[in-house]
Amino acid sequence: MAQWNKARTRNTKLVTLKNMATKKATYKEAITEIEEILEKIENEELDVDELSDQVTRVSTLITICKDKLHKTEAEVEKILKEMNQ
Amino acid sequence: MNDQQLSLFELQRQVKGSLEDTFTMPVWVKAEISEMTVNRSGHCYLDLIETESGTDTVIARCRATIWSYTFRMLKPYFETTSGQAFSEGLKVLLQAKVEYHEVFGFSLNIRDIDPVYTLGDLARQRREIIRKLQDDGVFEMNKELELPMVPQRIAIISSPTAAGLQDFLDQLHNNPHQFVFYTKLFQAVMQGNEAPRSIMNALDLIYEYEEMFDTVVIIRGGGAQIDLACFDQYELAFTVAQFPLPVITGIGHDKDDTVIDMVAHTRMKTPTAVAEFLISGALQFSQQLNELENHFIELVNNQLDENRNRLSDAADQLKQLVNGMIVTQQNRLDIARIQLKNRSEAFLKEQQSELKQLTIGARNKTNRFVILQNHLLDQSGNKLNFAFHKQMLKCKNQLNQIQNLTKIRSTETIRTEKKNLNSIQEKLRLVDPQNILKRGYSLTMLNGKIVKSVNQIKKDDLLETRLSDGIVESKVEGKSLPQTPSERGGLKTGS
Repeated sequence: MAQWNKARTRNTKLVTLKNMATKKATYKEAITEIEEILEKIENEELDVDELSDQVTRVSTLITICKDKLHKTEAEVEKILKEMNQ
Repeated sequence: MNDQQLSLFELQRQVKGSLEDTFTMPVWVKAEISEMTVNRSGHCYLDLIETESGTDTVIARCRATIWSYTFRMLKPYFETTSGQAFSEGLKVLLQAKVEYHEVFGFSLNIRDIDPVYTLGDLARQRREIIRKLQDDGVFEMNKELELPMVPQRIAIISSPTAAGLQDFLDQLHNNPHQFVFYTKLFQAVMQGNEAPRSIMNALDLIYEYEEMFDTVVIIRGGGAQIDLACFDQYELAFTVAQFPLPVITGIGHDKDDTVIDMVAHTRMKTPTAVAEFLISGALQFSQQLNELENHFIELVNNQLDENRNRLSDAADQLKQLVNGMIVTQQNRLDIARIQLKNRSEAFLKEQQSELKQLTIGARNKTNRFVILQNHLLDQSGNKLNFAFHKQMLKCKNQLNQIQNLTKIRSTETIRTEKKNLNSIQEKLRLVDPQNILKRGYSLTMLNGKIVKSVNQIKKDDLLETRLSDGIVESKVEGKSLPQTPSERGGLKTGS
């Protein structure tokens, strides 16, 4: 464990840079949010006016997920390339 | 006999002879391979040791040889049976012929190996490592990490020349679903004694970029199904177990799992299987996403349909209600209109007849009144006329009477007055001042006025005194008051 801690202090500067290009929880967050919205629709908790907003939200989330799945992010590739081995 | 001197050679010969007598047959020896070299002709030279259990102190050591024709058979046999490379560090059970050479001394010539012994020993070692990891509380640690839904950023630990690596990369990047994967190779030696240290160094590097990756993949493959002892190493297992990213192994063997496989988050048999696993994760997510999307569209459409139906139902209802209301109101309006018409006509008639009656009544009354008034007027006129005539008559009579009376009276009065006048004429002649003056009376005047009192006169006033035949003027010298008033009364009585 000690070696990880050492490595962590050594790399605090890198972390900020990396955080910009990484957001691991996005898929899960997106799915969770979509499911929550679906549940609300199923339970008829949303009226038609709210529904419109939520439809937009869900389609945005789905688009983000699909883009992430299928489109290469240059930023990530750049960081990976710049890593020293 | 103590003085018997042997040449070195003779001594060695004797030792050799007694050893050959003692060890006529090969013996089974347990030992650890400390060093091992294979020369160009294929002969294998070993350094065997025995260590004291617990201290690792070497308590026995000797050389051993495996001649090439034996080694060519023994090595594959051992390796295929044990799954281990025949290499340094192994504990082995060897069948050896004890040999003694006058020049090179004691050595063992290996004839056979029992891999089962080594297997048992390795198994025992592994059990010990596993127990230790469990005692340390790290054995399940990596499994407890959550593998992201789509592990897309992959740190690879492998040898750059490994065939398995290329298979893995091809499989992953050319996946039929066109999912994007980001890979970064962290090179490491994947076999032999150097492997654990090298892999740990790679893990160290990955740790620096921990945030960048979803998972670490340790792959090796394509090579021989041997030399996996390095993956049973305690420090490496300890490091992998505690690594903050989930580790997936694809070490490429189908025998028992290594300790690394056991502590890793997910264990796959081959690098390709690891690639499949990663792709299936993305595929599963993608399918879930599609299902959610379809479900979502369906739900939204349902909801919209439902709302639409409700709306049109409501609209229909409203229409009916409104129509009903309009009809009702129209009816009421019609009734009201008819009623109004009827009532107003009746009212009008009523009013008209009333008016007519009133008019007739008024006319009658007026006529009667006028007649009455006329009559009354006539009566009054008559009465007035009558009264007037009567009064006139009366007045005429009275006037006549007065006339007669006046005539009578005036004659009488004139006669009386004539008589009176004569007497007054007589009297008047008697009282004429001239006559009085003639009788000796005089009038005293001051400034044209008759002096009637002594008080009117002051001393030196000029008085006029009228006598019957003229006027005397005199000046007042003095005056005196009379004694009695009888003088004046006497005068009056005298007239």
